[in-house]
Amino acid sequence: MAKIIQHQLFYPNPPQDVWDYLTNAELMAQWLMPNDFIPVLGHEFQFKTKAMPDIDFDGIIYCKILEIDPPQTLSYSWKFGPGDGTLTDSVVSWTLNEKDNGTELQLIHRGFAGSETMTIFTMMDEGWLKNIQKILKLLNTTTNGTTQA
Amino acid sequence: MEQHRLDAFQVIADPSRRQILHLLSKDSLTINSLAENFDMSRPAVSKHIKVLYNAGFISIQDIGRERHCILKQDGFKELQQWLEYFDAFWGSKLKKLEVLLNEKSTKK
Repeated sequence: MAKIIQHQLFYPNPPQDVWDYLTNAELMAQWLMPNDFIPVLGHEFQFKTKAMPDIDFDGIIYCKILEIDPPQTLSYSWKFGPGDGTLTDSVVSWTLNEKDNGTELQLIHRGFAGSETMTIFTMMDEGWLKNIQKILKLLNTTTNGTTQA
Repeated sequence: MEQHRLDAFQVIADPSRRQILHLLSKDSLTINSLAENFDMSRPAVSKHIKVLYNAGFISIQDIGRERHCILKQDGFKELQQWLEYFDAFWGSKLKKLEVLLNEKSTKK
């Protein structure tokens, strides 16, 4: 089970070029989404995309710049929700490293619903199988197996 | 008690509910034994259990005389669905960025 979203790519362009595509609203719109980004610490902005009611997403992502250090690191909060005012918290972080006449770009998207969420995922990974076995045993010894596990 | 159905993230946003899940990850527990781990009243614990139950994080089985709470994967799957959605989202966006940057580097 994935605990974190992580992508790493290499682009044959200098970090400054990649940085421009991450921090210039017009360039960002070309590959990401329409937005009102301004590269200033603490600036609040939004991305807009199409709504997806199936997964309770109204198509607006509420962001705030948490860290900006050109042309190396950028992170912003990334909050989304169904449009009723409730929002799920997460954080998107970009890291750029100059390498082999190009740029290694790393994206990490984490912290859904608070940092402890990932602890639960870890817990699920570690404890899940053991737990299921224990439950099955318990159910088998005390009931006639009316539930399908 | 009419409970507004919370989404998976709202459900686990509460520390007490995360604590309940954590306890249940080690073993299934009765509502009474779960309540012993908390300072809050038993009805308050029951309310959290109901929220977890409604969101598919736990199931409740009557075993003998006791009601046992057992972890259930459905709620976690909803969280996982979001992670998968954004994972695929970034994958495709970054490909698009790659095309743009390639165009830019060949133009030079």
